[in-house]
Amino acid sequence: MAQPTLYQYELDEASYRVRLLLSMLRCDYETVAVDMFPGQEHVKPAMLALNPQGTLPVLTQDGLVLHGTAAILMYLARAYDPAGRFLPEAPAVFGPVVTWLGFSETALAPALQARLAAMFAAPGDADALRARARAAFRTMDDHMTMRHFDGQDWFCGDGATLADIALFPAFALSRDYGIDHDAFPALRRWIRRVRALDGFITMPGIPDYH
Amino acid sequence: MRLEEGWVPVALSSSIEAGTSAGAVVAGSEIVVWRDTGGTAHVWEDRCPHRGMRLSFGFVRGDHIACLYHGWQYDAAGQCRYIPAHPNLDVPQTIKVPLYRVAERYGIVWATASAQALLPDVGAQTDIAPVRSVTIDCPAAAVRAELGLEGPISVITLDGDRLLAAVQTVAPARSCLHLVLLDAAPGPVARQKHHARWAQALRFRLETASEVA
Repeated sequence: MAQPTLYQYELDEASYRVRLLLSMLRCDYETVAVDMFPGQEHVKPAMLALNPQGTLPVLTQDGLVLHGTAAILMYLARAYDPAGRFLPEAPAVFGPVVTWLGFSETALAPALQARLAAMFAAPGDADALRARARAAFRTMDDHMTMRHFDGQDWFCGDGATLADIALFPAFALSRDYGIDHDAFPALRRWIRRVRALDGFITMPGIPDYH
Repeated sequence: MRLEEGWVPVALSSSIEAGTSAGAVVAGSEIVVWRDTGGTAHVWEDRCPHRGMRLSFGFVRGDHIACLYHGWQYDAAGQCRYIPAHPNLDVPQTIKVPLYRVAERYGIVWATASAQALLPDVGAQTDIAPVRSVTIDCPAAAVRAELGLEGPISVITLDGDRLLAAVQTVAPARSCLHLVLLDAAPGPVARQKHHARWAQALRFRLETASEVA
């Protein structure tokens, strides 16, 4: 299998979700930088030929062209994590993991949009987007509050999964669009656990404590 | 209640792990609540004297907290001790972060700017188990009215359990309720979850009521 190629934008949260998994999987890959802002290259003919949806990131490997962040994460887990650590086979864990992956694509979409609006003047009603992002973080904080009572550090199962990787960046970057961490004590605890994972990497906006 | 007026509950003790910091807001005042690696809790103004960056964005190293911007380090007395860009500088005594008085009681971190205020006292309590802190988009007075509290702290009875409810004013239309279980039996997980769900339902009820109003 040839190395995968990731078409991505360094400051894009969705691209970071994939870089984070690739790093934790110790997977070597090529990158192609796509000038999302201000270039809008992701919605111009060259990238649209690859991904008509005009979204980033895009992953290619051996003739496959994949788009949609959760789909790419699942593909990489299947390809490079044969033990199924990040996407466990057991239905009792697989079910919650893909449920939270769905959440990362739907309930957290306003969080991604709020950040792009705040940082790159992308279109969107900033206040409304922030309110919806905050509601999603509440759902996550309520869940992790309950998990903590059971002595669990992660969203699903006994260890970090794709759910944690897909959900981490939106909350870790939330100050970029004006949502403080004050009101989410269970998520503050959780992001410290994520940061301590082997292979963890940062992106601009997520400080590297030194 | 403002920090100048008395002891304000600012976090559950269990939410501030050793070697970590968290931001909080009391009646509009931004504070950093942090715990050094020795386990002592500190509450300070959340502002680095250098560039005004929130110290809660920074990180704890031993008994120092360091600002995220330029790494200026402050000791437990709020005194700046180290400036990475000037490693040989004897840091002037004037570079100091304002501190609040801090105490931990009933599983809650309390802070005040008042020299006279007496720490809230609801008698000796044992077997305290944390439930949760829940932020609610409504005035603190509405939370107190809903729970029948006379002050910012009270013991309430809920579904056969005794709990301590402590209300923090965040902003005119935002509050934080800190809830701990008293007289907890060994292995209180089921009761903790029960009351955590109750707090979620309370948040829903109060926010729906304030939307209608």
